[in-house]
Amino acid sequence: MATEILMPRQGNSVESCVILEWRKNEGDQVKTGEIVCEVETDKATFEVESPAEGVLLKRFFEEGDDVPVLTVIAAVGEAGEDVSSMAPGGKAAEEKKEAPAAAEPAKQEKQDAKAASSAPAAQAVSADARAGVSPRARKTAADKGVNLDGLTGSGPGGRIIERDVLAAEPAVSVSPAARAAMGAGMTAPVRGSGIGGRILSTDLAASAAPQAVASGETREIPVKGVRKLVAERMYASLQNTAQLTMNSSADARELQAYRAQCKAAPEEMGMAGVTLNDMVLFVVSRVLLRYPCMNAEMHTDKIVEYGSVNLGFAVDTERGLMVPVIRNAERLSLKAISAEAKRLGKACLEGNINPDELTGGTFTITNLGALGVESFTPVLNAPQVGILGVNGIDLKPVQGKEGVEFVPHIGLSLTIDHRAVDGAPGARFLQAVAKELANFRLALAE
Amino acid sequence: MSSEFDLIVIGAGPGGYIAAERAGGAGQKVLLIEKEEMGGECTNWGCIPTKSLLAGAKHYVHARESERFGVTVSGAKYDLKTAMAWKQETIETLRAGIAFLMKKNKVEVVKGSAVLNPDRSVSVNGKVYSAGNIIIASGSSAAVPPIPGADGKNVLTNRGILSIEALPKKLAVIGGGVIGVEFASYFSAVGVEVTVIEMMDEILPLMDGEFARAMRKSLKGISFVTSAKVTKITQKGVDYEKGGKTESAEADLVLMSVGRRPNLEGFTDAGLDISRMGIKVDEKMQTNLPGVFAVGDVTGTSLLAHSASRMGEVAVNTILGREDRMRYHAIPWAVYTLPEAAGCGLTEKEAAEKGIPVKTATVQMRANGRFLAEHGKREPGMCKVLVHAEKNTLLGVHIMGATASEIIPVAAAMIEAELRSEEIREIIFPHPAVAEVLRDAVWEIE
Repeated sequence: MATEILMPRQGNSVESCVILEWRKNEGDQVKTGEIVCEVETDKATFEVESPAEGVLLKRFFEEGDDVPVLTVIAAVGEAGEDVSSMAPGGKAAEEKKEAPAAAEPAKQEKQDAKAASSAPAAQAVSADARAGVSPRARKTAADKGVNLDGLTGSGPGGRIIERDVLAAEPAVSVSPAARAAMGAGMTAPVRGSGIGGRILSTDLAASAAPQAVASGETREIPVKGVRKLVAERMYASLQNTAQLTMNSSADARELQAYRAQCKAAPEEMGMAGVTLNDMVLFVVSRVLLRYPCMNAEMHTDKIVEYGSVNLGFAVDTERGLMVPVIRNAERLSLKAISAEAKRLGKACLEGNINPDELTGGTFTITNLGALGVESFTPVLNAPQVGILGVNGIDLKPVQGKEGVEFVPHIGLSLTIDHRAVDGAPGARFLQAVAKELANFRLALAE
Repeated sequence: MSSEFDLIVIGAGPGGYIAAERAGGAGQKVLLIEKEEMGGECTNWGCIPTKSLLAGAKHYVHARESERFGVTVSGAKYDLKTAMAWKQETIETLRAGIAFLMKKNKVEVVKGSAVLNPDRSVSVNGKVYSAGNIIIASGSSAAVPPIPGADGKNVLTNRGILSIEALPKKLAVIGGGVIGVEFASYFSAVGVEVTVIEMMDEILPLMDGEFARAMRKSLKGISFVTSAKVTKITQKGVDYEKGGKTESAEADLVLMSVGRRPNLEGFTDAGLDISRMGIKVDEKMQTNLPGVFAVGDVTGTSLLAHSASRMGEVAVNTILGREDRMRYHAIPWAVYTLPEAAGCGLTEKEAAEKGIPVKTATVQMRANGRFLAEHGKREPGMCKVLVHAEKNTLLGVHIMGATASEIIPVAAAMIEAELRSEEIREIIFPHPAVAEVLRDAVWEIE
């Protein structure tokens, strides 16, 4: 009896995952615990292991399919076993029926064009299945090592024609090793890391990195995964809450001095990695305790204030915005907050964050200061009632004893949900944060 | 503030003068500041004078050891004064050449010590200059560790030893890197008794392990003491600890060649991010200060003249808005000893550390027609290649034996182009040429 491989449930908040890459082909031998495919939740990527040893008999979904959790995605068993009864019902099953039919003509043409290497022709199957590829385009693609998958056709009905293949061929030189890998299905960036932008095989391995679109071309990006989640959350937030943003700034001299001191601290103290953002996280985690109205959630019929601070912070990743949460931040030292922020940020960037670490926040901080932003209107991470935007440090004229002096100030942009918090209490919270940032060394003593 | 220059380059070594030449050639208004001599350490106290002296040493060796070719010389003598004059003439010709290149590319040259001010202006000789961009190419100096006696008159660095007036009887070299071994080879060839004392367990850290061992055996006249820690320098020689015992090497002259430290004087108060190694830069040679670049030894990375030149070009290209990045994986190195050696790319140990699977092959030079004809079957020489086990791309080449340094650029081009063994086999080499060993070694790969 064959064994089902299920789309696993990752954390409690995940309903479906996208299959990023199959690591095993149908007919491959697999061992128990061996990676069968890589999947992406709306927040992170995971590997799916085989629960049994045997032959991978069937893959029920293609790369790029969004599959509900706990659905059968593949079957493992002994060669020749019938697994048709395991196929998940509905749309996916129908698509499956079409796939073999579409594969037939591709096979035929592969035999016709003997010069073509087998790999690109095999790859053409899925492109064929969607819109069609002209024989001439397929031949050119095989000659030039261009991967037809992911090409946008400009021919009738979206058919891929030779022009599309030529446009997809990189303008820079391609190393022989890279060309071989491209023929086998990997995609190349517009410019590589080698001599004169030459595309090397290592650039293909990193092809998940953002790719520039050549001038005159368009690129369609399916809205899924993190992008889909961000889109839904941001839109809902602006539709369903009453957002009010207020701007202020704090004297940043102590922050800068403390940062410099951390950098210069003996290595064994482990303070060198403390960033300005860590310091803001620290101060906000303390001030929030005194302003419970800001450490709260707005629900339709009630406002819930929290007695501990689960501080979310925005991380910019290749997949899109992620907001990991530092739990009980009010109990952590500056060093501990810094270390936790680093750990969570790294996991987000590497795509292996536990989805549960992206939930449960009570307040959020978003920092665009490093990008030279002077003020902005952060969008609430609803149902939270507050989000603090951190801006860059700029010089600001201040009346001193001997005339006007220029003092570095860090900009702060606080958005509140006016349904839950009025302007004055929000402003008092912002003022308290600014004051503690300006007197950071005193704030540290808390 | 209007800038007087488009670019200020600090330091006229192979990093600085090449940057100035390239930028001047591209129409930039360039100021080049040098506190000592045009050409920097390389031209005046490094690469060039050592090659001049080694050339004489080789003639001297050939004069004594050419009987097997039917040449007998009696009364061969080595005159240091004449050799030093030859060295000096070479240096001065090159210096004049660099000065000419600066004039040709309309680069203004100022002699003096430069200071980078916090407002990113540059002070020299009491005058303040400003520019859109600044390249720091201030180089490095010989590091002198605080060993008792290291400040004695009998202890010289690469600079002092190039202006001695009489040969020592016995020379002790502290440090078995490229600089130490090259000087050791020179002095040994002209009849000086030489001991090299190295702290690590092997000399020449750039070299593939088995080559370093072979090299040590090939440098016949030199005594090598490895895994030894120098404890004291006296008028009689050098005391060192090896395996728990204190021993000493007799010497009337000591060369200190344990490493280099970046020349940071004048650059520490401008807010530059500086690590223990040197000024921190990214792959475009940009420092943390906008418009300030650093290239060459002062960055603490790849301390080689040709690396510095390439870094200078990357900085200039970045300034000119041309896409470029510094790559470190295919930088050739050479040591001009008797026999000479050169390498490019990964050693087997580095590949193992990086988890890269490799196939290797080694061929002996005595199987090479030209090598055999000119050096005989007893002369040491070999070539080793490393190829990626799956992609077949060339990853490293190591050559020991005559003309190694003239062959290695071929390897650099192949590695940069990411050629695979199958493509390299299609490249035609002249016959007979020692370089054929590279092609033969690639054919040896399975």
